[in-house]
Amino acid sequence: MDPAQAPGVYEGAANVIASVMLLIEFGMLRQALARDQIRLYAAQSALISVLAIVIAADRNLPDLYALAALSAALKVVAVPLVMRRLLGRSVPDDGDEAPGVAGSQTLSPATAVLAGIVLAAIGFFCFGALKIRGPAAPALALALAAAMVLVAFGLMIVRRDVASQAIGFFSLENAISLAALVVAAGLPLILETAFLFDLLVAVVVFGMLIRVQHARSESLSTSDLTRLRG
Amino acid sequence: MSAALPIPLIQVLQVLTVAVGAPGVTGVIAKVEARLQGRRGPRVPQPYYDLAKLFRKEALAPEGASWFFLAAPVIAVAAYLTIPLLIPVLTSYPLPLGYMGDILGGGFLLSLASFVVATAALETGDPYAQLGSSRTKTFSAIGEPVVLFVVFTVALLTGTDLPYALAATVRSSAGQIIRPAHLLASAALFMVILAETGRIPVETHNGTNEFGMIEEARAFEHSGPYFALLKWGSELKQLILFTILADVFLAPWGLASTQKVGAVLLAIVALLAKACAVGCVVAVIDNSFAKLRLFKITEFVSAAFLIAVLGVFTLYLGGG
Repeated sequence: MDPAQAPGVYEGAANVIASVMLLIEFGMLRQALARDQIRLYAAQSALISVLAIVIAADRNLPDLYALAALSAALKVVAVPLVMRRLLGRSVPDDGDEAPGVAGSQTLSPATAVLAGIVLAAIGFFCFGALKIRGPAAPALALALAAAMVLVAFGLMIVRRDVASQAIGFFSLENAISLAALVVAAGLPLILETAFLFDLLVAVVVFGMLIRVQHARSESLSTSDLTRLRG
Repeated sequence: MSAALPIPLIQVLQVLTVAVGAPGVTGVIAKVEARLQGRRGPRVPQPYYDLAKLFRKEALAPEGASWFFLAAPVIAVAAYLTIPLLIPVLTSYPLPLGYMGDILGGGFLLSLASFVVATAALETGDPYAQLGSSRTKTFSAIGEPVVLFVVFTVALLTGTDLPYALAATVRSSAGQIIRPAHLLASAALFMVILAETGRIPVETHNGTNEFGMIEEARAFEHSGPYFALLKWGSELKQLILFTILADVFLAPWGLASTQKVGAVLLAIVALLAKACAVGCVVAVIDNSFAKLRLFKITEFVSAAFLIAVLGVFTLYLGGG
């Protein structure tokens, strides 16, 4: 068979960043401690800012520099800080050792990763078949974003504690920002900013949820919610 | 320094470089590791002294062990010494015997060596040696899919699975280096190498605690020259795997492109330097992580598998 053609350096770099983001998503899937999950989320958000800068430099879109700075300030600094605060208030310092959170994993990590690979494959090949080509970033990055969305859903389903589910939701937003960067890099800055503020709303809502859940059942596990009567 | 070496001599030099250099690389890694831990550490040529000492000693075999027990170390070393003929060790152009086998051929030879050593360990009746061989087989079986997917990636990248072809592809342009498929396959291979050489997330390579031993335990009953061969064999395996990682995947530069004496000598130095550089990275990993519990090794391998599978996925959509 013919050897696969090499993409250009720019395209390769964008694809590598997107692949590392997907790998971090898998890292969150297998990471047991909520604190480390938050750290991984911050790393993933930092990468999407880097990707925005790479696209901005290559495609000459100065708007994206501002977006990268704004999204870094919000997602790398603010959201992890708020999440850590929330967890600090409701969970003792050793994170997962808290009652109800330690046994929150329904699948073993290795099985969860294998299930995640299947999900990623579905996202990958479905989007690969669509053959959408954005003006800014390569089609592969879009497929990677789709895989990330599905793995993030998987993360939210597999985990039983509210904190991990919140992180899964936020990383879902990262995946969608990645897809947005790929398909519509030239989106007006004001719209992109509005999306970022949507995330802030989500953080507030999840913060409320975590606190209500903790106040009601003294645990962050949602497995208490399966029974209809208390 | 401009005399040209005959091709067969270069081919022999490939084997000799690996055979003679392997204990030295092990010595360098042990030294770096000791320095990182604030110890003075053994001298760098210490592995050579160890081998020389063991080769002079008497050899004993347990009662009831057959001829295979003594033949296994010899077969293993012979298999390890055949692999340098198949991979680019010193030259960027393929040598005549280089097309004797592809990456899978090299993999078969590695498995053959590991198989005969494990079988010899089973002959002894020593519970630890048997435990070691059973564990080795189990963990190499779950590591196998990772290697296969790395080979698939190589095959999709180059259209063949010859190590020389991949090295040439990587050298050809910057786009080939930065593409995700190449980086992911290299990362997965590195993780497999950590597992295969008995390094820290999987096994403590210089431990004395039998319960955590995987590969080290297999040689318990061998002594004298046979034990020396087993030790030398694992050093050879380590250098071979490092060579594949450095000369085929990560840094296929510094290889001789002509038959000139100077170029070949430079290639020998470059190879050993690259192997020591990989070894330093391994030593740093050794010192920064704890050993995984035995049943957590599947998680380590599943991470490597994930990376290798993603490498293949990215290629299928093109542009990977």
